[in-house]
Amino acid sequence: MNQPPSPATHTTMSDTTSNAAVIAAAAAGLAAVSHAAGSTSVDDLIAKITTKDNAVRGPAWQGAAPYGAAAVKRLAGVMPDEDFETARSAKRALWVIVRHAGRPGAAKEATAVAKELVALLPTAPAATRREVLWMLSEIAGDDAIAAVAALLSDKDVRADAVATLMRLPGRKSTAAIKSAFASAPEDFKFALADALRKRGEKVAGYPSQKMVPTRSTTVTQPPAAAAN
Amino acid sequence: MIDQPQGIDRRRFLKTSVAALGTAAIGFPDIIPARALAAPGRPGANDRIVIGHIGIGGRGNGLLGYSLSRVESGKVAVAAVCDVDEARLRKALIRVGPNATAYRDYRYLLERKDIDAVVIGTPDHWHAVGVVHAAESRKHIYVEKPACCTIDEGKAMVRAGRENKVCIQVGSQGRSQAECYKANRYIANGNIGTVNKVICWHYESPVDSKPVPDSAPPPDLDWDLWLGPLPWRPYNAKYCPGTFRWIMESGGGQIRDRGAHVMSNALWIMNADRKMFASPKNPAPPVTIDAKGTLPMSGLWDTAVTMDVTYQFRNPDWTMVWSQPGEKIPYFDEEKRKKLGIRDTYGATYHGSSDKLVVWVGDGQVYTELKAVDWTPGPGAKDVHRSPDFDHTSDWLHAIRTGTEPVMNIEAGVAAAYLTVLGNLSLILGRKLTWDPVKQEIIGDEQARRMMSRPQRYPYVV
Repeated sequence: MNQPPSPATHTTMSDTTSNAAVIAAAAAGLAAVSHAAGSTSVDDLIAKITTKDNAVRGPAWQGAAPYGAAAVKRLAGVMPDEDFETARSAKRALWVIVRHAGRPGAAKEATAVAKELVALLPTAPAATRREVLWMLSEIAGDDAIAAVAALLSDKDVRADAVATLMRLPGRKSTAAIKSAFASAPEDFKFALADALRKRGEKVAGYPSQKMVPTRSTTVTQPPAAAAN
Repeated sequence: MIDQPQGIDRRRFLKTSVAALGTAAIGFPDIIPARALAAPGRPGANDRIVIGHIGIGGRGNGLLGYSLSRVESGKVAVAAVCDVDEARLRKALIRVGPNATAYRDYRYLLERKDIDAVVIGTPDHWHAVGVVHAAESRKHIYVEKPACCTIDEGKAMVRAGRENKVCIQVGSQGRSQAECYKANRYIANGNIGTVNKVICWHYESPVDSKPVPDSAPPPDLDWDLWLGPLPWRPYNAKYCPGTFRWIMESGGGQIRDRGAHVMSNALWIMNADRKMFASPKNPAPPVTIDAKGTLPMSGLWDTAVTMDVTYQFRNPDWTMVWSQPGEKIPYFDEEKRKKLGIRDTYGATYHGSSDKLVVWVGDGQVYTELKAVDWTPGPGAKDVHRSPDFDHTSDWLHAIRTGTEPVMNIEAGVAAAYLTVLGNLSLILGRKLTWDPVKQEIIGDEQARRMMSRPQRYPYVV
């Protein structure tokens, strides 16, 4: 596996806090991630993410890349946090890990992260599953397709699941959409038919609804103006 | 509806199908589409083009003003306004007058055969879907910049424009301004030698320093329709209005909001639109994109606060740098700057082999140095595109009437947007990217390649 470069060389943090505080926080964050991504360091990461101090959790999520697969489950567990800034920091830390794991030459790392993400799909809250699906759309391989396709029957996240399959290259993702189409509820078949056509498949019926207006306004000309 | 015969140019079709329509036009409502009265060899309906406006808040409201300012002259009629915010619609109807109809769903507007053209002033994430659907409805289009949010959206927009033979102008209006024309002409005639570097500077993107939790949307706002092609998520007051610019998926920060102006001008002046959007017949070598920057530590807004992106073009070799904030170059005449409100907090410097030229601002305002403003072309000097009245909307309307290309046609608009998309992609991925202008693909990076698309939420799809 390639040694990941320091993520702080490309993007760093900024906020309304003073530069000195930001630099200090960045240094602290880098010190934390210089350790191997074992459970202790993941504990450190989670502890920083769950503080209420942006000068701590900001550098923590921005420096999360090297924690990799080991941090995925724990961060996903923080994503539903009732403190919206904590939840956001956890989500962004996870995205940083995904973006880093997907770099060229790091296939094993991407596979490991994707495996952890797939494991979240059956039980995570809907909002987490949506994010996880989009993360998988960037780095997952064929191994993830069955788990993603299973969510095509989940009304809360099925639109995100089909989008994910659309991004995954190859015939297996197309076959998964085709298979779901056969048993999908009528209202969802139009979306699946559109996805299949974009993949070059022929689909009988279920014409595109994209140009069909559905939302009427209540706004009309005021009576005086209309009478003119 | 009259179907356009296949294989016949739309404009020619419009001009040759008048005879049948001419008599039928008697007794038409007040607003008669140009297409209905057009006659062979001359523009129709006293040059009047019937327009529908899609997205009428903020910049969209400004664009509505451009149309309304032409109504009295008979050049334009505004037949419809559309927005996902009912409060805006109520205000717009009062502004436009009794002949306009309001719509929440733009697809009702596109169904109207009496509308010749649409002006799309929505947030960025609606541009591609709006343009493709309008083109497929055979409407001419003015769409705000940046043209697209993803590479695949850009491809779909170009394809729709070409296949439906409609005139599309992207709202990077710097190219239509007098001093941008003069700067371009000055450089095109070799006055600073061969340009090898363009440095763009722009102040930082804002930080969401007072974030708020998700909440119910305002009663006048159709939140689902506002999201349209984006993945669904709960409403948050920091998404809109206007602030969509500071969110990566719906705006993309200053590099997209103003980069689509400043870098559009640079592509134009460098004659490089096709360096991003090439073809096998007119190939161009790969372009590399390398971004570094700082992201906000908290808050909803996630676009780069500071940013430096280096674009390396080949054959000819030149470099463009988007630098945020970069090194501001103050306008040379402080008194004039104050008097005219010249926003010299952004612009670009063109470094040539023998001299350099500064071009300030880049959107509805463009200013350059006096040496370019006062330069008089001699015999045989090269000229460049000059928009009628140095006005971007006039350029678009002129192109519709004459069948010519507007200065910021869809290919050019997409090329400029690609620069902004690729800059942001390089930043969030944390690595240098290579763009193949012929394949229209990022090469050598599977994750980045997948991110050239963002599958849209059905039915808001291209």
